[in-house]
Amino acid sequence: MNRNIARAVAAVVAAVAVALPAFAGAYPLQVARNVMMYMALAITWDMLLRSGQISFGIAGLFGLGAYAAILGVVRGGMPVWLSIPFAAVVAAAAAFLLGFLILRLRAMYFSIVTLALAEMFRIVIHNLHDFTGGPEGIVMPAGVIFGGNAAALYWLTLAGLAVALAASWWFEKSRIRFALTAIGNNEISASSSGVNIFRWLLVAFTVTSGIQGLLGGIYVQSYGFATPDGVFSADFTLLPLAMALLGGMHGTVGPVLGAVLLGLVSEWLKLKIPYGHLIVYGIIIIIVILFMPAGILGLARKMSRGAEGGKS
Amino acid sequence: MILEIENLEAGYGRLRILQGVRLEVGAESVGLFGPNGAGKTTLINTILGINRPWKGSVRFDGREIGGLPTHEIARAGIALVPQERELFPGMSVADNLKLGAAYIPHAASIADRQLEMVLELFPILKERYAQLAGTMSGGQQRMVAIGRALMANPRLLILDEPSLGLQPSIVAEVFDRLAELKKSVSILVTEQNVRESLRAIDRGYVLENGAVAIEDSAEGLRTNPHVVKSYLGI
Repeated sequence: MNRNIARAVAAVVAAVAVALPAFAGAYPLQVARNVMMYMALAITWDMLLRSGQISFGIAGLFGLGAYAAILGVVRGGMPVWLSIPFAAVVAAAAAFLLGFLILRLRAMYFSIVTLALAEMFRIVIHNLHDFTGGPEGIVMPAGVIFGGNAAALYWLTLAGLAVALAASWWFEKSRIRFALTAIGNNEISASSSGVNIFRWLLVAFTVTSGIQGLLGGIYVQSYGFATPDGVFSADFTLLPLAMALLGGMHGTVGPVLGAVLLGLVSEWLKLKIPYGHLIVYGIIIIIVILFMPAGILGLARKMSRGAEGGKS
Repeated sequence: MILEIENLEAGYGRLRILQGVRLEVGAESVGLFGPNGAGKTTLINTILGINRPWKGSVRFDGREIGGLPTHEIARAGIALVPQERELFPGMSVADNLKLGAAYIPHAASIADRQLEMVLELFPILKERYAQLAGTMSGGQQRMVAIGRALMANPRLLILDEPSLGLQPSIVAEVFDRLAELKKSVSILVTEQNVRESLRAIDRGYVLENGAVAIEDSAEGLRTNPHVVKSYLGI
């Protein structure tokens, strides 16, 4: 019963999401694109978190993908459509190789190194002036993909979100969920159950980084230019993290919920207090951590259990 | 012999804990006793590759496994029921059990059959099948942990202090089950509760200061003056 309702809601939401350009104007579509972009990033961050690894490197892989896509076209003469999957491949390959070094680290050490990675990518691109355009950035000579058609851009971002959702669903439904949950819970129990810890962390890190790169590629082709400070902005790390925290971690639904709420609130805040919205973000994170560490979803579960307990 | 350990030395940092241990397990149930700090858990961790052996050999089924990574040792056919925090508390009983077989190639193909066997051995797990493992009582959690280890279809089942923290009636039940299990799988079990565990084992070793001090049959241990005085408290 409950599952059928959830399926029906998901089907309706998906139908509305696909059909939105038919009845929404350019501004709501722009807002929706923003929300979906951060939502997808929040989902990928959560996917790795399920193994207990907290990454602060989202912006790094997102930015790397963005630059791979734009440089692929501008310097490599790649067709624009191909540059987007190319962004995913570059970010995934980078994560795969770096994974051999950094996935030996745990907890705080892993987090700090991922944070440093993002900064490292940014500085490299900043300084390779002749190739990357340096701090001033680089522009797509042909402009925005699809000639800037609002509906097409919307669908492109929706496709990126669909990839993240599909991957997250695969992580939840397949054998990999066992491995990641086991690793997150207790590595000794995991390995003595036959789980090759390093291998599955590498799979999770590579897949999530590849999707973050893909989203970077979509983002950059949707705006037609990239600057190091723009695509490596800390926003791409902090906002997804805040969304997953607010909605509830360790699943697909929490980050989705958090992204819708925080995405819409932040859009409203941007209009009300320009540049001040990040302060409100910070306050939201503090309140969530203090009073509802399991997020909205955790709170809802707690309340529904309480209600059931009251009935019996 | 399924497990043959010879002249094994291991420890932490510069501290040598195991000082040349020799131990064998065949098609039988073997107890490993000794005071806290004697090296029981270190020995188990070294068999499983959680610690690296410094010297000596660990052979399983005739093959040297000393120094292999833990997941490969698990796949070779050794399953562990660790001393504490053995479960994945956020997963259901069903998932905890299924995980036991998911990553062991020779177990994944017969997981349904193993699951049936485990649920028959511990009927309470059938009742609590969908419950989150972390919300169960200590004794039930221990049963899930044993069940999960059995799901791997192991040739050797190692249990580290299975009675730790359990009430006496549950302890008796755990050892009853172990006595049943030893017909189908080799068992190596460490215990503080020597009296109860003597019911479930064929032979035992007493480890003191990182070396084997006594090796005897269950009956021999029961009447050994040193064992009686130090471990049975009569």
